[in-house]
Amino acid sequence: MNGASALLPAVLALPLIGAILVMLLPKDEDGLARGVAMGVSLLTFGLSLAILVPYDINPSHGSMQLVFDKEWIPGLGAHFKVGVDGISLLLILLTTFLTPIILLSARTSITSKVREFCAIMLILEVGMLGAFMALDMFLFYVFWEIMLIPMYLLIGIWGGQRRIYASIKFVIYTMLGSLLMLVAIFYLYAQYGAVTGEYTLDLMSLDKLVLPHNVQVYCFLAFALAFAIKVPLFPLHTWLPDAHVQAPTAGSVILAGVLLKFGVYGFLRFAMPLFPYGAAQMAPYIAYLAVAGIVYGAFVAFAQSDVKKLVAYSSVSHLGFCMIGLFALNSQGIEGSIYAMISHGLTTSGLFLAIGVVYERRHTREMSEYGGLWRQMPVFAALFLICMLGSVGLPGLSGFVGEFLTIFGTFIADKSFPVGWDHFLPHPMLLAAAATTGVIFGAVYLLYMFQKMMFGELKEQNKGLQDLSWREIGVFTPLVIGIFVLGLYPKPIIKVMNPAVDQFIRSYKEKLAEPDGPAHIKGLPAPGTEVPTAEAPSEAGDTPPNEAVAPNPAHGEPGHID
Amino acid sequence: MITITPNDFLYLGPLGVLTLVGFLLVLAEAFTIGKHRQFLMQLTVAGCVLAMLAAIVTWRQLQPGQTISAFSGMLIADRMSMFLIALFSGTTALVAMLGSAHQSEYGWEVGEFYGLMLLATAGMAMIAMAGDLVTIFIGIETMSLAVYVMTAARRGSRGGSEGAMKYFLMGAFASGFLVYGMALLYGATGSTNLAVIRGVLAGQASSPLTVAAVFLLIVAFGFKVAAIPFHMWAPDAYEGAPTPVTGFMAAAVKTAAFAGMIRVFVFGLGGDVVPFGHIGWSTIFAIMAAITMTVGNIAALRQENVKRMLAYSSIAHAGVLLVGIVTAGIDPAGEGLSAVLFYLLSYSATTVGAFGVMVWIGNRDRERVLISDWYGLGAAKPAAALVMTIFMLSFAGIPPTGGFFAKFILFKSALMAQDGSLLWLVIIGVLNSMISIYYYLKLVMAMYFREATGEFKPLRSGALTFVLVTCGLLVMHMGMMPSRWLGYLGI
Repeated sequence: MNGASALLPAVLALPLIGAILVMLLPKDEDGLARGVAMGVSLLTFGLSLAILVPYDINPSHGSMQLVFDKEWIPGLGAHFKVGVDGISLLLILLTTFLTPIILLSARTSITSKVREFCAIMLILEVGMLGAFMALDMFLFYVFWEIMLIPMYLLIGIWGGQRRIYASIKFVIYTMLGSLLMLVAIFYLYAQYGAVTGEYTLDLMSLDKLVLPHNVQVYCFLAFALAFAIKVPLFPLHTWLPDAHVQAPTAGSVILAGVLLKFGVYGFLRFAMPLFPYGAAQMAPYIAYLAVAGIVYGAFVAFAQSDVKKLVAYSSVSHLGFCMIGLFALNSQGIEGSIYAMISHGLTTSGLFLAIGVVYERRHTREMSEYGGLWRQMPVFAALFLICMLGSVGLPGLSGFVGEFLTIFGTFIADKSFPVGWDHFLPHPMLLAAAATTGVIFGAVYLLYMFQKMMFGELKEQNKGLQDLSWREIGVFTPLVIGIFVLGLYPKPIIKVMNPAVDQFIRSYKEKLAEPDGPAHIKGLPAPGTEVPTAEAPSEAGDTPPNEAVAPNPAHGEPGHID
Repeated sequence: MITITPNDFLYLGPLGVLTLVGFLLVLAEAFTIGKHRQFLMQLTVAGCVLAMLAAIVTWRQLQPGQTISAFSGMLIADRMSMFLIALFSGTTALVAMLGSAHQSEYGWEVGEFYGLMLLATAGMAMIAMAGDLVTIFIGIETMSLAVYVMTAARRGSRGGSEGAMKYFLMGAFASGFLVYGMALLYGATGSTNLAVIRGVLAGQASSPLTVAAVFLLIVAFGFKVAAIPFHMWAPDAYEGAPTPVTGFMAAAVKTAAFAGMIRVFVFGLGGDVVPFGHIGWSTIFAIMAAITMTVGNIAALRQENVKRMLAYSSIAHAGVLLVGIVTAGIDPAGEGLSAVLFYLLSYSATTVGAFGVMVWIGNRDRERVLISDWYGLGAAKPAAALVMTIFMLSFAGIPPTGGFFAKFILFKSALMAQDGSLLWLVIIGVLNSMISIYYYLKLVMAMYFREATGEFKPLRSGALTFVLVTCGLLVMHMGMMPSRWLGYLGI
């Protein structure tokens, strides 16, 4: 363990210390609380950028780097184990990037209980970063749940009229999923212990365990429920519009910008690698639901008169792309999915912040109340336009890359899939075509929104509106720069995530090719079964995994497919 | 024939301290007047701390897994009993501090309160150390009689008298069942010693006598831990009793009842005793656990009175603990027992803390027992609201609190027992956690999301602050550094 491995715990500790500091400040020192929180969050961002220095961008294998491992609960086998790979690194950077922006944007929108707000934001940041870094199931679960309470308070304390309903709905929905996931974690833990005699919650170890196929389906479903609610996958999305509309701008931004990503990330990091067969079995259904979400989200967004609700539903639609790209299971699809997540984090944050700007001035989110703002607030209109077009997926802006890659990945999903799995994604081309309509509808509702608000007659009540202040321009600038950079020069980002994605696909396929049978460690025979002799057919890789028990491949020769 | 040797007294320290200080307090009460009542509280705390130290010293002398039987097997000293006695003494000390603040504010300064409380604790210590049915019975009765009186200690409170009456009648019934069950068990096995009973029953097919005995014992302990359908007394008694007494009942008395359950069922009968055809007592407890959790939580959803809500919540927690008892019964080699003990510790700390905040928040003019009375606490008194939030999160089982880890290991050990045959129960358990989140967060919601109605004039008392801080830190520490505590429980 070298010095660099202390970097991740430091990134985690910094906002935590900041939160405690903020809580200890005197009650009415709002400016000081904001300043401390801002400073801490900027420092965290800087420190998270420092991860890039020791980080090896082209690892020989795409596994975890900068791993920090310390025993935590020996009786349980739980460790404080954190690490990053190309996937989590990008999401961590997104989180630390957005937090100062949110704190800056809240300077005028959050005016009561400022100290508490700053502390809650920092604790939320700890929870999010921890969940992205965690390489131990217990640790992940703890961070996953820790995130919940600050978000709940954020909606409940600073939210709108129906905040109480929205906040409790958010908690109950999220909890419902995660508790069943907990049961599946117990099961995995018990099985791993039974097979190896060692009880651990370490993700890398548990990852080697291959469960019987039917069990994988149940466990995958338990995990998938937790993550699908978070994504949110249609039809589990109903908490999202409520939470978004009731949350203050800061809450909406963090929710759309980072929290939703945990759904997709959870599939990628936990549900799919741990239960590949279960994932493969459920892939068609998830793909259907994702496409249904893309189209449904777009249609419902179009029908909204409340701008915030419109953007909330657009999230349902956009996250559908991430999900379908993930289950295309080729590097294009998955890289597109991650790219789309990051881009969504920037563009949708920008849209919510823009809505926050006009809401602060007019205290309404009805589209019909606005119109002609372009002339009144030209700077705002320009920045809003860029965020909106980024979200639409205009080539040259960030949204395009992700959507293109996910759809392309889905389109070619057929050819990239393991032998014996012709129907991993049923009719991938049709799915891709259906998803593409989502892009078109996306352009329709977002442009419609922009047109209603920005063009046309300037209403009497909007004549006094002020354009953006320097602070507000400061809020938007980093986002807009990000949207441009991601759209014009995607290469570095793709390069960072590529090794991790390749590694994910490789190990996924390896594990999927493992034969059915009692729980065993990948590449090893199940305890109590005979070790096949040298003459045993070693082309196990060609055996369709959904067939009955095939002899295990010999030691050191896992069934390669590719 | 009971022979008593000098060695028998070696491990009697904690029990002896509790009993002696208890009698001393009863005496001292007669000689203290008016303002000097504070002294009684200090004496109680001192006695409890002394008993706790004695228990810790004894705990350190004992090896893990070592059991020493004293007084011909009437009492057993092992690490579990010492842990429980330390827990009871600690709870009692904290409740005494709550009690003194509550008494002087609401004017029910009855000195017997402290004496009775310590004698109840002595009864609990006896249950924890019991190696014989007779000791269990004496312990339970000592504890219960004292608590009946404590429930009605605030004279002139109608709710208190009603609750105490209900509690007493139901409790008397339960004691009847208990003693009858014990008698039948004696008839079936020829002994009241739990170890002997275990030995006899293990090699024997179940007779109608054992079936009846086990049934009666289940009913009796069901009453004592307030498991559904034997819970009817609990909400009224909890609501009617003075708040510190409610805390004492919910934390210490419930823990003691579970200690008795562990002694009788897990150690005495053992999981291999199958009285009802193929159905063992563990199956009945498992069904009871499922019903208790579910009904307790659903009933708690509708409560507007915080004390009543916590009463139903404590019923629901009894259901979760029953899951642990079942686990310990069917999987003696597993971690079920440690999980139960960990749960009891975290639950006690949370309960005393939560009732502590309830004592703190009200005053003579406005006791603030309704949820609507808590509106706006978060803005007015952020520190108290934060502590209460920690307790509510711990009750609900949300990390990083002790309640989360307690539930985590309890359900984990349940799932690992007998190849996951308790999976259904664990799923019901975790779904129940979700239901419970709703009403625990209802209080958090009241504190943070609503506007205050009227100014808060909380009780100012150093002892009260000490209780809240201690419980809050303990709950957080148990959540973040559970291995320390697991170490004490022998995992």
